[in-house]
Amino acid sequence: MRTHIKAKVLEVITAILPLVVAVVILQVAVIRMPGLVFLQFIIGAAMVIAGMILFLLGVEIGILPMGKALGAGVPRRGSIYWVIGIALLIGFAATVAEPDVLVLTGQVDEVSGGTIASNVLVPVIAIGVGFFVAMAMLRVLFNFPIAYLLTAGYVIVIILAFFAPVEFIPVAFDAGGVTTGPMAVPIILSLGLGFSSVLSGRSALSDGFGLIGLASIGPVIGVMVMGMVLS
Amino acid sequence: MSDVVIWDGIGHTFWGVTKALLPLLVLFLIFQFSVLKLPRSYVFNLLKGALLAVPGLTLFLQGVSNGFFPAGQSMGEALGNIRAQWLLIPFGLMMGFLATWGEPAVRILSSQIEEASGGSIRRRIVLYAISSSVALFVALGMARIVYGIPLLWIVIPGYLLAIGMLWFSERSVVAVAFDAGGVATGPMVVTFVLAIAVGIASAIEGRDPIIDGFGLIALVALAPILTIMVVGLILRLRLRRKEE
Repeated sequence: MRTHIKAKVLEVITAILPLVVAVVILQVAVIRMPGLVFLQFIIGAAMVIAGMILFLLGVEIGILPMGKALGAGVPRRGSIYWVIGIALLIGFAATVAEPDVLVLTGQVDEVSGGTIASNVLVPVIAIGVGFFVAMAMLRVLFNFPIAYLLTAGYVIVIILAFFAPVEFIPVAFDAGGVTTGPMAVPIILSLGLGFSSVLSGRSALSDGFGLIGLASIGPVIGVMVMGMVLS
Repeated sequence: MSDVVIWDGIGHTFWGVTKALLPLLVLFLIFQFSVLKLPRSYVFNLLKGALLAVPGLTLFLQGVSNGFFPAGQSMGEALGNIRAQWLLIPFGLMMGFLATWGEPAVRILSSQIEEASGGSIRRRIVLYAISSSVALFVALGMARIVYGIPLLWIVIPGYLLAIGMLWFSERSVVAVAFDAGGVATGPMVVTFVLAIAVGIASAIEGRDPIIDGFGLIALVALAPILTIMVVGLILRLRLRRKEE
């Protein structure tokens, strides 16, 4: 355990330090941001390092095995409704709570001049994610190739991009990336890995992965459709 | 030192992180008692781990939003005013790489890929692949801001290419590539790199920070999808040539 923690500390320091050093060099050489902003950056960097060590340890010890156990337990309940229900709930909840989603909805508010309230948009995005996580788990269950789902999803995105109002396009694409944040990733990832591990004839790589990729499509479609409805 | 606002909104962040974890905890416990019935000491360890993750992620997000975000904005505004604007492109390359390198979800995905592949795909390779592809596309995003190229001109061909390639790629490569696209857009890139881009877009005349700055995340999400599939196809072609 102790060597494990030591390895994590080292990993996180090598992950964060290069960025911090680059900013410090730029600050000294060219940028000269206000002293207070720079001080906050340094304190923030210490918090980021400490937080990431705890988070990655917690994910490894707790969240990943928990999600895998849950994913592996789902097929044992037999019913397909459990699969859909759990996927919807996990996808929805992880998105609603995602801090970056709130940042995004603030932007949308600005773009739309306040016509799209965040208490409407957040559920729209979350339902989009929940729906696609459910689709992703069903495709593993029925052994349906991921290529069809991805193609259908992105073809819809491209078609909508030509019809949605221009100012919604960047926000819509951003919504797809933003929703799969640091807490949603280990949860959705481990759910898929556990789920595919107990179904016979599934490969860990090609069936365990793919849930996050599919989950990213939902919000893009959701935001574009909202933009079209409003204009 | 009364002006340091590093702890502002931490309660809110903490609550958000807890809410994201809660459904997993509840569902896990329901399944534990009804189906799984894992040994009690093991479950206790899992819960301890999950509880460790909550303050960890809270601290991380707080540091990013209150420490990195204002610094990014301030850097962006300063850099938007430099005369040699093409310098922003190599700058984007560097920042894109470093921010993705520090993204926690990218690390989680990389080690899970190593585990699932039985060690044949090394964690470090995945890390380098995702980080360098994001670097390239952030550089592209900077070029877009400097020269005013519309987002759709890059994103639509990019996704068409992705759709085309996924029919020629192995199923495992496709699944991993699209997942990598989802994880690359984490808090480090979204708050820090985005703040820089928006700062630059608002400093350059004739650029709308919303339309020109924000599209960057779409490019970041596209980057690993294309790069991992290209690498997968190259490896496959090489294998085929060896067999012949």
